[in-house]
Amino acid sequence: MKKKCLVSIATAAAMAVSLTACGGGGGSETTAAAGGEEPAGTTAAESVEAAEGQTVLKWSIWDKDLTAYYQPLVEEFEKQNPDLKIEMVDLGSSDYQTVLGTQLTGSGSDFDIVTIKDVPGYTTLVNKGVLEPLDEYIAADSVDLDAYKGLTDQITVDGKLYELPFRSDFWVVYYNKDVFDAAQVAYPTNDMTFEDYDALARQLTVDTPGQEVYGAHYHTWRSAVQLFGILDGKNTILDGTYDFLKPYYELVLAEQEDGVCQDYATLKTSNLHYSGAFSQGNVAMMNMGTWFISTMIEKIKSGEYTDCANWGIVKYPHADGVEPGSTLATITALSIPANAPHKDAAWKFVKFVCGEEGAEILANTGNIPALMTDDIAGMISAMDGFPTDEGSTEALQTANLYLEMPVSNKSSEIEIVLNEAHDNIMTGNSTIDEGIADMNEKVGAVLAQ
Amino acid sequence: MKIKNTKTRTLRVILYVVLIALALVMLVPFVWMLSASFKLDKDVFIFPIEWIPKNPRWQNYVDIWSKIPLMTFVLNTAKLTLIVTFLQLLTSSFAAYAFAKLDFKGKDLLFLAYIATIAVPWQVYMVPQFMMMRSMGLADTHLAIIFLQAFSAFGVFMMKQFYEGIPTELCEAARIDGMTEYQIWYRIMLPLSKPSLSTLTIFTFVNTWNDFLGPLIYLTTESKKTLQLGLRMFISQFGSEYGLIMAASVLSLIPVLIVFLSLQKYFVEGVAASGVKG
Amino acid sequence: MGKTKTIDPAVVQKKLSILEPQLAQLQKQAEAETDPKKKLKLGRQVDRTRDKIRQAKTGERFSRQTKRDLVAYSFIAPNFIGFAIFTLGPVIFAFVLAFLKWDGNNAMEFAGLSNFAQMVGNKRFLAAFRNTVIYCVATVPFTLAAALALAVLLNQKIKGRNFFRTVSFFPYVASLVAVAAVWNMLFSPAKSGPVNMILYNLGMAAKSLPKWSADKNWVMFTVVLFSVWKNMGYYMVIYLAGLQGINGELYEACDLDGANTWQRFWYITLPQLRPTTFFVTIILTINCFKVYDIVYMLAGGNTGVLNESAIVLVYHIYEEAFRNWNLGYASAVAMVLFLMVLAITLVQFRGEKKYA
Repeated sequence: MKKKCLVSIATAAAMAVSLTACGGGGGSETTAAAGGEEPAGTTAAESVEAAEGQTVLKWSIWDKDLTAYYQPLVEEFEKQNPDLKIEMVDLGSSDYQTVLGTQLTGSGSDFDIVTIKDVPGYTTLVNKGVLEPLDEYIAADSVDLDAYKGLTDQITVDGKLYELPFRSDFWVVYYNKDVFDAAQVAYPTNDMTFEDYDALARQLTVDTPGQEVYGAHYHTWRSAVQLFGILDGKNTILDGTYDFLKPYYELVLAEQEDGVCQDYATLKTSNLHYSGAFSQGNVAMMNMGTWFISTMIEKIKSGEYTDCANWGIVKYPHADGVEPGSTLATITALSIPANAPHKDAAWKFVKFVCGEEGAEILANTGNIPALMTDDIAGMISAMDGFPTDEGSTEALQTANLYLEMPVSNKSSEIEIVLNEAHDNIMTGNSTIDEGIADMNEKVGAVLAQ
Repeated sequence: MKIKNTKTRTLRVILYVVLIALALVMLVPFVWMLSASFKLDKDVFIFPIEWIPKNPRWQNYVDIWSKIPLMTFVLNTAKLTLIVTFLQLLTSSFAAYAFAKLDFKGKDLLFLAYIATIAVPWQVYMVPQFMMMRSMGLADTHLAIIFLQAFSAFGVFMMKQFYEGIPTELCEAARIDGMTEYQIWYRIMLPLSKPSLSTLTIFTFVNTWNDFLGPLIYLTTESKKTLQLGLRMFISQFGSEYGLIMAASVLSLIPVLIVFLSLQKYFVEGVAASGVKG
Repeated sequence: MGKTKTIDPAVVQKKLSILEPQLAQLQKQAEAETDPKKKLKLGRQVDRTRDKIRQAKTGERFSRQTKRDLVAYSFIAPNFIGFAIFTLGPVIFAFVLAFLKWDGNNAMEFAGLSNFAQMVGNKRFLAAFRNTVIYCVATVPFTLAAALALAVLLNQKIKGRNFFRTVSFFPYVASLVAVAAVWNMLFSPAKSGPVNMILYNLGMAAKSLPKWSADKNWVMFTVVLFSVWKNMGYYMVIYLAGLQGINGELYEACDLDGANTWQRFWYITLPQLRPTTFFVTIILTINCFKVYDIVYMLAGGNTGVLNESAIVLVYHIYEEAFRNWNLGYASAVAMVLFLMVLAITLVQFRGEKKYA
């Protein structure tokens, strides 16, 4: 009796063990840490399989399917370095910095290369001390930082550079030519003041229920509205006083009130992606970064976007008396974690992606590389699917570039304050004056620390 | 007599009206979800709502399988859920028996340790836990999720509440008959606790199936990700494709509903026993 | 069974000469003792000494009590080992962290109580604290009432009872990601949102239509509404179970006295359900204090950042831990949360004892 009972318990336990053993199947490739006792077959599920003698580099990215250049970059790199394999790990875009931060915590991370999404994320990781300074590698291979046109200076922390940019996107205005044609309005130009822009947007707006056309579209990010304010070069977003933002909030809130653009609150709660908004064909103009160019080209080619296939870009609107072409810039960069298992191989990859070859691949997929030369600008506008009008080509020439968020060890705290105030102003939870007063007070407190 | 009859009948009618209204409140979001999953994205928000789409778009249910590796996600989630539920049931009922029916040194202290952790939010010990798991080589493995979920304090607590409701005399009698404690657990407690086992099954199943934050932190390789991660990824990447999002959501509900429907007759009894003892 | 060893009569004799007088003394004490609690304790000691004597005579290595302990531990071990390693360990570590300064990577520093002092001046903490309390105060009674009402309704002998029960449980089992998306679409802040459209048709002015989860003044209301809707089915099931346990004779006696439906409910159902209500209240309160995902899904938007109008404690913990990597501070906030839950649970235990 007793035996039978014990046997059944033992069987149950054995089952549990064997089941969990399966559960562990498919650990990391090169490290033996996960377990040498794994049956060989279980790793078959892996997307990347290392051939004999190959080193696998783990690279963290986001939105794998929406980004056109990951695959060609990896393919070209692997062709040049047959002994190296790149494994892309998609950490998702919405929680990217959180997940990346957790992964890099402590000493056990096995990422070799990480993509850094934004400046606050960069400073957080630098402060945590989980990134490897790249200066020695740069000196050893005598990489010419001048080619980055001063971008690298803006991201140097305490004399050390922890990331190398490979993309440097800037904001432009996308417009849907079909909407302009239907309204018989002339296309926007590369030289628009904010008044011109506002008037144009209002001219295109149709508010008949069910057939709405929106003259403008602003994504819910703070950059899309707030940073109009810094383009005259007189103020920066780290100043601590934000009264200069008022006219721009007034402009956008009035548009929202009059149905010229979609309601911020609705966009926020429905989580509507800007690509979704623009591709529905009822948005005339949308300000967005140049990263959207490649998505547009790709999706129009694949036949997914049919209602915005006839599109163009123009330079950002500018304040009176300011040279057109002043716009916001944001960089995407690569870093090597301090604990990366294969640092030298990782540097090879970083150098490749951020260098000229990488830049060409990026340009070929319609993205703006950080290493921008005239040839590369020409490649972008010449690519199949890029708008053929002259204005769009010219829109790629910029005058002044302002980082969306400059490097500062307070940047991630300031970011939270600015985001909240932006949200409150745009949803109508506070008036513009209240929101600005709130920013002044809270950022002041952060800066005073 | 007659008056009373009419009165009861009116009450009955009112009762049904109230119940149907409540059922509607509960069901409307699901019906809306179902109907949206058969629509084109642009038709989803049209008002008044078109409850039964004129041209149901079955394509949505075909497309989601190719847009994201949904099959992999479903299989991963199913595997994790089954293993976790099985382990949870086995170890919880085992431990709960000792807490409910045996007298031993350190019982109160051990139990206190269990109870105290229920009130601590997971976010607090997530980072130390993650670092520990990784140092064991468990980062980005399903094993990590299993360990995370399978030994919860809640299961032990609930099963203990139930076992305490089973008369101790039953165990005493069995002991006199010469049964060992293991036999008592296997031959007396387990058969008697079918209802509460079903309850725990549903709770564990639902929790594991719907868990989001755990897989988000631990699972980075796409081929290991779970359904909820997939759903979230889907929403962030295809934010405007409501039809597809709803189709994916509808699919994610089906397994949970099947489990609930097949166990629900035990379910009410199960909570009865453990709930009342409070 | 325990192993026996060869018995050395001299050793046995020596042990017995100590134990037997002890036993006699204890027995005498136990008889003389009047306090029932102490008597019980002495009785146990007597049993234990008897066990030791028996052990000395037979020469078994383990006493009966030890054996019983070992059996009990073997029951607990499979769960407890996993629990201790993967949950209890990190939890204890987290409590220690509350007194440290740590970013998860660099060396830890002792911080004393400074993490706690930091909370006082932190606006986001204060907002989170306020919102969490508001959320709990609003959600607990509403959920209790809704769950009880549903349970009483669905305890009647009616057609389609199982259908109605299942439907009520729907929102609880459904994935949060999915239902939050649906909820936000139904409660769209736009004037053309389905719920707002209904309000508008009922005669509400277009200007005063609430913006639900995007509205500073409505967001907590929306969250409470959602969570009552989502969770009442779960607590209803527990109440239903409680209702099955009420003795039918009580109602018969009540009917003989000519009581109406309301009186039946008030004088029998409600008092009889007190233990269930106690259990539900505790679980519900703990769950309410730990709320995070519902708010995040409803009010997080594209950036996933909660504003002061919607932030709750667990979210504050999350953002401090993962956005700013103040792990020590995050643990300190968690400790505050833990103590609050503990205090409320204790008060409830008190109240329960008083009325039981």
